[in-house]
Amino acid sequence: MRVLVADDSRVMRQIVIRTLRQAGYDWWEITEASDGAAALELLPSVQPDLVLSDWNMPEVSGIEFLQRLRAGGNQVRFGFVTSESTDAMRATAEQAGALFLIGKPFTADTFAEVLNGALV
Amino acid sequence: MTIIDTTVFAGSDPIEAIAQDVFTAMVDGEEGHLLPWLGERPEPVVPVHAWVDVRGPVSGRILLTTERATAQALTRALLAIPADEPVEAADMVDALGEVANVVGGNIKSLVPEGGVLTLPQVESVRPEVAPGQLLHDVAFGWRGQLLVISLLSTETGSGR
Repeated sequence: MRVLVADDSRVMRQIVIRTLRQAGYDWWEITEASDGAAALELLPSVQPDLVLSDWNMPEVSGIEFLQRLRAGGNQVRFGFVTSESTDAMRATAEQAGALFLIGKPFTADTFAEVLNGALV
Repeated sequence: MTIIDTTVFAGSDPIEAIAQDVFTAMVDGEEGHLLPWLGERPEPVVPVHAWVDVRGPVSGRILLTTERATAQALTRALLAIPADEPVEAADMVDALGEVANVVGGNIKSLVPEGGVLTLPQVESVRPEVAPGQLLHDVAFGWRGQLLVISLLSTETGSGR
């Protein structure tokens, strides 16, 4: 399982990766991207099975990243991990083709619950 | 001016509740390390400030202020850096900014009018706060060290 984690905060990328391991996904092969633009560049070489992306990032935001993916025909499974989780954002994310939105702060239990449901 | 719907917190302080949730889940992994500050607040000796702004129908700033040493301890906790290893300045800026970002994002989620959350900024100099701009602040002791979270208005006419 190849996973691309996009977040402009290195600290948050480390927390996401640590939480994935705590949630039982320690076998996942994880690649980090420092924002949406970097993630778009890495996509062809990484060929991820899942993308976990922050929403609020410089250069290319998370929602722009997702919209560009879908506009290019890429249907990779995509979820947001973001500090805002309003109903409006969830609706926007779903409309753009995201599977889920995990609000920060999160726990390993949150990750396990959401990912187990989304990756069936 | 109503900025936050406090009814969802059953009358308790929403900033206190959000900050404690953030520290429990993200920093400490358990409850009880971020507590209301009791008594007088000492002036920070070597302060560091992190903030995010909300821009939209309602504009405001969520500002987090603490001692640099406390910010470094927070960074150690977030990145699991051993006590005998130094904390890089860039990591401290990233860590404190991310705490401000998560606290700010959760506070913004309570604003019915919505808006855009800016990227976090971290500085050693406190951003200017004019009279009338400070709406609310909460002082915490994180593992005994002072940490203040302030809610500021950045509406035109509020002093900024």
